[in-house]
Amino acid sequence: MRSLVAYRMLVHDRAPTAGAVLGVVAILFLVGQQLSTLFGLFTYMSVLVDHSDADVWICGKFTDNANSTGQLPVRYVDRLSGLADIAWAEPVITTAGETRRKDGKAEGVVVIGLPAPRLTGGPWAFERGSVDTLLDYDGVTVDSRDLELFGDPELGDVLEVNKKRVRVNAVTKRITSFGGTLVFTNRTKAREISNLPPDRCSYILVKLKRGADVDAAVAKMRAVLPRAEVFPKDVLSRLTRAYYLINTGIGFSFGFTTLMSSLVGIVIITLTMYTSILNREKDFAVLRALGGRKKDIFVIVLCQAVIIGAVGIFLGFLLLALFLNGTRDSNLASFVPLWFPFVHAAFTLALCLLGSLFAIRHATRVEPATAFR
Amino acid sequence: MAKSILTLKGISRDFYDAKVRQRVLKNIDLEFYAGELAIVAGPSGSGKTTLLSIMGLILKPSEGRIYIKGEDVSDLAEDREATLRRRNFGFVFQTPTEIPALTILENILVANAVQGTRVPPALRDKAQSLLASFGLSEYAHVKPKVLSTGEKQRVAIARALINDPVLLLCDEPTSALDAENSALVLDTLKGVSRDDDRGVVLVTHDPRVYPYGDRVITLEHGAVVHDWRREVAA
Repeated sequence: MRSLVAYRMLVHDRAPTAGAVLGVVAILFLVGQQLSTLFGLFTYMSVLVDHSDADVWICGKFTDNANSTGQLPVRYVDRLSGLADIAWAEPVITTAGETRRKDGKAEGVVVIGLPAPRLTGGPWAFERGSVDTLLDYDGVTVDSRDLELFGDPELGDVLEVNKKRVRVNAVTKRITSFGGTLVFTNRTKAREISNLPPDRCSYILVKLKRGADVDAAVAKMRAVLPRAEVFPKDVLSRLTRAYYLINTGIGFSFGFTTLMSSLVGIVIITLTMYTSILNREKDFAVLRALGGRKKDIFVIVLCQAVIIGAVGIFLGFLLLALFLNGTRDSNLASFVPLWFPFVHAAFTLALCLLGSLFAIRHATRVEPATAFR
Repeated sequence: MAKSILTLKGISRDFYDAKVRQRVLKNIDLEFYAGELAIVAGPSGSGKTTLLSIMGLILKPSEGRIYIKGEDVSDLAEDREATLRRRNFGFVFQTPTEIPALTILENILVANAVQGTRVPPALRDKAQSLLASFGLSEYAHVKPKVLSTGEKQRVAIARALINDPVLLLCDEPTSALDAENSALVLDTLKGVSRDDDRGVVLVTHDPRVYPYGDRVITLEHGAVVHDWRREVAA
């Protein structure tokens, strides 16, 4: 009966209820939109690491993120090959490049040179063509989102990167990096574009044998490569994200916006629920006089907060889903991990309950004697 | 001999206005019986409603003891008081206090289920029959706003009776009603008081109500100045 009373009061007081629901929707949508964009940017930040099939990345000394490394001697591969746990080790080249559009405008790109024939660390989703086409000496990929940048080339069209001839052999599907426009090619072509000496590379990607202990293998690699950084894949991914979060102000910016969205939502919920309780003071006094305990009033207002939270969360997710679906093909970074809706719903409900605290406090303090006034 | 329902012994109540103590009830000794409609009369500010609140365990006295059917209930915790209130008392307030968000039937049932208990079908039937006895069956599933003030007060009486209380406490229930509706409500209360297990206490300052009472207690300045009981024909 208490939940029925709670529900009936909410339906009866439509305007304040709608206001409180709006507060929940504001929290869920604004925070959800901000965080899905942040998660989208996360995937951009460590996109190469996350999609590589290597277990360990070896980078230049003092590397603190996957998008900036020094040069490594290729001969490190020989040292690694001597370790028991290693299935393969492949040097990869990354370099900054500049391409010219047909109209003469220059565009910066990041060229990734993959080791043939394995082409490990290479592109993983294609709109046209396949990874094998990078075995062609001049072969490169461009991404579907960057086609305009390159003057809408067709497969087989020739472009220039750092004034070196390349041929568009494949179009990747939504592979975007935080570091810039990605162009995949084979290592030989990348070396030509970068003018990197033949005994140098940017990273060495290492695959461990099945069942190998990653920590033990990493320790052994660090022992044989004291002048390099050896990172398990997930560690480098985390480091990269942390680097951008801290050093670019993204963390502060998104954190502040999330906080402000939450605060605005809480204020709306608090004010509307509190006003509603003020208007219902006499009803609560009557309920108390009829034998309602403070905890019964608490349950009624708590039920109201839960109902408002549930409706707001549902509408907020609906709005968020529409927004994410509507912007799916845009350049707006967005990604929603599987766990996020559950955590976000719980977080929003917790904020809704927090916002209802003043209302609960006031309602439970209503004296039954006021029913006589 | 009529059964004693409620006994007040040495009840006093103080209120503080700007830290100045004001004693609004002074050493009240009263006993209320089943089958009796007792009227508590007196001018405004004499302490009638305060006395009613203390009798209904809504307000704690500053001094004195309260007994329900001989059991001392003066020092109970708030939750226990609320439960006793629900079981033993029915309230009819000065102005209609139906919760506007609930239907008439739900308003009656809430008096029983306010502590979160399920409403058994038998109780629903009882509420329906109470409404029928007050000629309000057709309003069971509508909101209170469509009812007249007199009808709302009769719903309040039905709500007060749903738990079979031993004492009905009514705070000037006819003050907002016209003569015709007042008579209807007072007749209803008179009828309710004709139960060997139940009494009715009605607070008023309207002398036209006195004839309905089996007993008239007059308060002045917080003290009982007169306690008149109608003589029962042998």
